[in-house]
Amino acid sequence: MRVLIVEDEKPLRDSIVEQLQQAGFTVDAAADGEEGLYCGREYALDLAIVDLGLPKLNGMELIKKLRAEGKSYPVLILTARDKWQDKVEGLQAGADDYLAKPFHFEELLARMQALLRRSGGWAQPVLRCGAVALDPRTQEVTVNGRRVDLTSFEYRILEYLIHRAGEVISKGELTERLYAQDFDRDSNTIEVFIGRLRRKLDPDDSIKPIETLRGRGYRFALQRESAA
Amino acid sequence: MGPRSLSTRLLASVSILLILFFGITIAALDFAFQRVTEQAMHDRLEAQMLALISASEEDSSGGLQPAPEKTEERLKNPGSGLYGEILRSDGYPSWRSNSLTGTGLDFAVQLPSGQRQYRQLHRGDGSPVRALSRSIAWEFDNGVTRTFVYSVAEDLEPYYAQLNRFRGQLFGWFGLLMLLLLGSLQFLLRRLLTPLRRIEREIEAIEAGRMTELGGGYPRELLGVTTNLNALLRGERERLARYRNTLGNLAHSFKTPLAVMRNLLSGAQGRDLAVARQLDEQVGRMDDIVKYQLKRAAASGGTGLGTAPVDVRTVLESLRAALLKVYADRRIDCELVVAPGCLFAGDREDLTEVAGNLLDNAFKWSRGKVLLTAERITDPTARRDGLRLVVEDDGPGIPVDERTRVLDRGARLDERVSGQGIGLSVVRELAQLNGGTIRIDDSPLGGACIEIRFPAT
Repeated sequence: MRVLIVEDEKPLRDSIVEQLQQAGFTVDAAADGEEGLYCGREYALDLAIVDLGLPKLNGMELIKKLRAEGKSYPVLILTARDKWQDKVEGLQAGADDYLAKPFHFEELLARMQALLRRSGGWAQPVLRCGAVALDPRTQEVTVNGRRVDLTSFEYRILEYLIHRAGEVISKGELTERLYAQDFDRDSNTIEVFIGRLRRKLDPDDSIKPIETLRGRGYRFALQRESAA
Repeated sequence: MGPRSLSTRLLASVSILLILFFGITIAALDFAFQRVTEQAMHDRLEAQMLALISASEEDSSGGLQPAPEKTEERLKNPGSGLYGEILRSDGYPSWRSNSLTGTGLDFAVQLPSGQRQYRQLHRGDGSPVRALSRSIAWEFDNGVTRTFVYSVAEDLEPYYAQLNRFRGQLFGWFGLLMLLLLGSLQFLLRRLLTPLRRIEREIEAIEAGRMTELGGGYPRELLGVTTNLNALLRGERERLARYRNTLGNLAHSFKTPLAVMRNLLSGAQGRDLAVARQLDEQVGRMDDIVKYQLKRAAASGGTGLGTAPVDVRTVLESLRAALLKVYADRRIDCELVVAPGCLFAGDREDLTEVAGNLLDNAFKWSRGKVLLTAERITDPTARRDGLRLVVEDDGPGIPVDERTRVLDRGARLDERVSGQGIGLSVVRELAQLNGGTIRIDDSPLGGACIEIRFPAT
């Protein structure tokens, strides 16, 4: 998952970036509204975190511009002013949730995961597809209730695929979402990791969770469960 | 009794003064006229008396009577209104005028010689006459001197009729004059008070939010009031805006370091600190104090003068939409019932803050249903309607013995545990600053019911 954080306060930005990376996100950071607008336009994002009080272009305007350009990824507002008027205006401008400073990082993470889940069309916190269940809160993956150990990168690929279960995801898109900078898109790293994932999730080749569509990309093939 | 307007007061006082003034004038004129006409009548009687005496001739019986050719015509015609009599000293009339016939008028007078007397007498039918009697000694040709009493009288009816006519005219003209005076006074007053009425109208417009300040072109005497009022209104608005901006900056500059601290504490190096949890708790406490005090300070609590009354429906609908978005996962059914014409006579931000905190609480605790009701509080004596806001949910509710404490939390921040939430105490503060009250109750939905009342003012 690739997220953008637009926050002018460097220590806070650095700290959030560090913790988000540890939590398995690919993170882009911007220090002001204009930089934020550039990143928000150019990068393939899954979510943006926007501080309202930004230099050059304030957060509200930034969100409006991104929405006006058809960017539909979830946006979470950070605000120090904590006024309902601001929250309402922010949400009306196109944000999806808000968080007042100072916040606990866990709270931020939980809100982000909820937004990501919602944008992927998931209603429950644990994402279940057939025998496979993924809990973004604990980053735990199980197959038929059996825990599967994944490396951080494997987890990130799987999380993205499951989030968008049923959709075809190109290799390029996967690369973009998982690496902050564009590098070597032709490498077969993704293929290698997909192969490892298949072996770990489906050692006896019985459930076939990840489909390869030649020339188009991958698809998480197991049926989503709208578990009650 | 309501306050009376300036013009009513002035008109009432001037009317009383005019009535007094004209009353005295009329009384004086009436008195003077009576005196004059009475005097004129006496002069006439005196002249008749002299004419009668000078016309008198001795008759064969030793009495006196006027020579017919010298006698005034009116004395000869019965009921003419002028009467005469010559009385002998033995009490028998020597002569009675023909006009006395059938009148029942009796002079019946005894006067010492040389005396005269005015009297008011009555005819047989009761109508008044004015009479003059005079006793004279008459020396006959034979040298004998006898005393006679001459009397003349005139009907008072014509005199009264004249007096009444005069009075009628007097009242008529003075009445007309008074009406004219009052009319022109009212006209003058209206002209004079036009600028005051304009101020009144413009202040109403300002209260209703249609205008932000008084217009120009007022007379010199009022310029001081209007310009100062405008300055006050402008100052109030600007002060609030500046104040809020400063508070916002303060919040920003205060909370950003707190946010950094909190994030550092949950970061790689912070997590391992032994006191990380305690430090984090202190950050929370500082945050609450700042939040509570700043929200309190940022409240307008003012009259909202010079700003349009807030349309409650718009505010509540945008809050509802915002919260439904934030709590989308919970699939909460939030019903909004706003009575038509609900207005908040105050500051939009205050109302948004109160309703936002209440709704957020309700969403937080609700199991799936939130009901938000807004009604007008009307009072015929008030200039602006009040507002009643009720937020209900189907959550666990607030136990009776907790209610006071929940509302007091903000005020006793030192005693509380971080994380308990200060929403309701902020709401209480804001409601009170706007002259409102808060009440916690049980909702028929099963959870808490919070009622805020802003009375009509």
